Amino acid sequence: MKKLLGFAIVLALFVSLAGCQKTPPAPVAETGDTELNLFTWEGMFPEEVLARFESETGIKVNYSNFDYDETMLAKLEAAGGGDYDVVIADDYIIETVIAKGLAQKLDLAKIPNFSKVNPIYQGQFYDPDDEYTVPYGAGVQTIVYNPEAVQKEITGYADLWDESLKDSVGTIANYRVINGMALKVLGGSYNTEDLDVIEAAGRKLIELAPNIRVIKDDNLQDDLLSGEIDVAVMYTSQVTMAKMANPDLKVVFPREGIGFGIMANFIPSKAPHPDAAYKFIDFILDPEVSAECFEWLGYYCTNKEADELISPDYRDFLTLPEGFNEDMEMIQIVSAEAEEVHAKIWTEFKAACGQS
Amino acid sequence: MKPEMKPGSPVAPHPEAKPEQTRTAFRRRIDASVVSVAPIYAFTLLFVVGPLIYMFVLSFLRRAETWGVLREFTWANYLNILEPIYLKTFWESLKLAGFTTLFVALVGYPFGYFMARLSAAWKRRMMLLLMIPFWTSSLIRLYGWIIIFRANGTLDKILMGIGVTNAPLKLLYTYSAVVVGMIYALVPFMIFAVYSSAEKLDWQLVEAARDLGATPWQAFATVSFKLTLPGLLSGVVLTFIPSMGLFFIADILGGNKVILVGNLIQEQLMKARNWPFAAALAVVLMVLTSIMIALYRKVSGVKDLEGLV
Repeated sequence: MKKLLGFAIVLALFVSLAGCQKTPPAPVAETGDTELNLFTWEGMFPEEVLARFESETGIKVNYSNFDYDETMLAKLEAAGGGDYDVVIADDYIIETVIAKGLAQKLDLAKIPNFSKVNPIYQGQFYDPDDEYTVPYGAGVQTIVYNPEAVQKEITGYADLWDESLKDSVGTIANYRVINGMALKVLGGSYNTEDLDVIEAAGRKLIELAPNIRVIKDDNLQDDLLSGEIDVAVMYTSQVTMAKMANPDLKVVFPREGIGFGIMANFIPSKAPHPDAAYKFIDFILDPEVSAECFEWLGYYCTNKEADELISPDYRDFLTLPEGFNEDMEMIQIVSAEAEEVHAKIWTEFKAACGQS
Repeated sequence: MKPEMKPGSPVAPHPEAKPEQTRTAFRRRIDASVVSVAPIYAFTLLFVVGPLIYMFVLSFLRRAETWGVLREFTWANYLNILEPIYLKTFWESLKLAGFTTLFVALVGYPFGYFMARLSAAWKRRMMLLLMIPFWTSSLIRLYGWIIIFRANGTLDKILMGIGVTNAPLKLLYTYSAVVVGMIYALVPFMIFAVYSSAEKLDWQLVEAARDLGATPWQAFATVSFKLTLPGLLSGVVLTFIPSMGLFFIADILGGNKVILVGNLIQEQLMKARNWPFAAALAVVLMVLTSIMIALYRKVSGVKDLEGLV
């Protein structure tokens, strides 16, 4: 009985602690290009699009997902740039992937639809000459609020510090974005490496703590919709979902400047099925397919020919407003010292949120 | 992977094994036991000791500028822990673990104790009822708590329905919500531990104490409680140690506002790309919990922890 109990306890512990990890993809044997190992976040493509690709090309898609960009890089590094054929990840991590030689230069002749990419999203820091990547969706961190619950008109990040918003603001849990918000309010850049400036942003953030109700990355829009919070700083896909559910919500492009991120496709250096990879990248660049993907994904459409195919219901959220790229800035990796200060002020901020 | 039977596997019985053992039969037996134990040792070395060494070494290395680590020795990661905010994180973790353990003991001890007094059939039923929640992922069960706690959620509706409150309480994303989630996740371990101890309790001793004039309360304090103490203490260990590491409860029910070492390690590893610092945090956390276990043993004088060994 005692042994059994011990076993039951250990088992129960294991079961209760499991459930956070995804299983790695099974290594796939080389069988000519009848397979494609796609590696990206969960839910990046509608099922129908993948099914259509499979039936049109006869290539089977093995979709494996990661939770963070960092997990992707760790796995890709462990596989020596092999195992996966197409990876879609965030801009800043792709910079590291390319620097480590884990991505291969694209043969644009194999991607006839490459010309359809909106040039606003090209030539960015992570791939200045567009040699390695094809954008697939872009995001902007925006403020969304419920005008019924908020008396004040919000036009920028600085308004989040207003006392009337006590305990009613939610933010995503990306510390570079949230620290960056304070940097922007102080007139700085997201990517400053001046430690004093980052420390000052930390002190500014602590003043925001009484207003913070929740910090989380997943489904923050639910809290806005349920009334748990009245204002949120969110990712684009969440903004789209929130707006679709409640059209009365107001979306604000902060006056301090716009934080901007791009997700992009790349082919790992030792991709086992490069031909399938090219076919796939070209397939999703087809304007009609793109439009379908972006309506479903809820990120900004990076395919300029797809813009007009997106249904009017979504077009406002998925295509860029006029004069958009004037004061946008992308978050890049900063020096190790600066990263450490960022991590520290973030922890201090969270602790202050818990205390107020 | 084919589950092929290895030659020399101890599973196959020796048909000629007889009570009077010859030397070769004895040798064969030793071989068989070595063969059967060796994989466990190999497994432990590979998957427990190996990662521990790896983590320990990693904690003394320097992080590379953008990704990975440099092979340079440094104390910097341990010195970094001395930053007031990170010391505070350890303190907050200990505090939450302490609170959780206290409440879990208050709920779980009586539960396990009285469960041991039930009839055999009811014991089985209770055991089953306690195990059933584990069939569902703990994450999903936590989302259940969100539905209860959130604004205009189940609890708000009930409270407003019976007129206790007239506006939604802000219950979700508070410290109390985290404590409730932690208690909920860990109370079964306390119950199992106390139950296994109380089940072996010789009730005649309690009766004897009563016959000798002890009040029920005195009999409990002097006899039952002392005899179930090993169960309670192992329950404390089983609650305290995991509550130092259950970071996702603070994330989901606390809105990320309760800073715990578990969350910090996860964040340093997954987001800040500072693996050596994460390793150093993990080493310190492990040393800390080992000290806790040693202290329990010293204080309680209990050598084996009920249900653990």
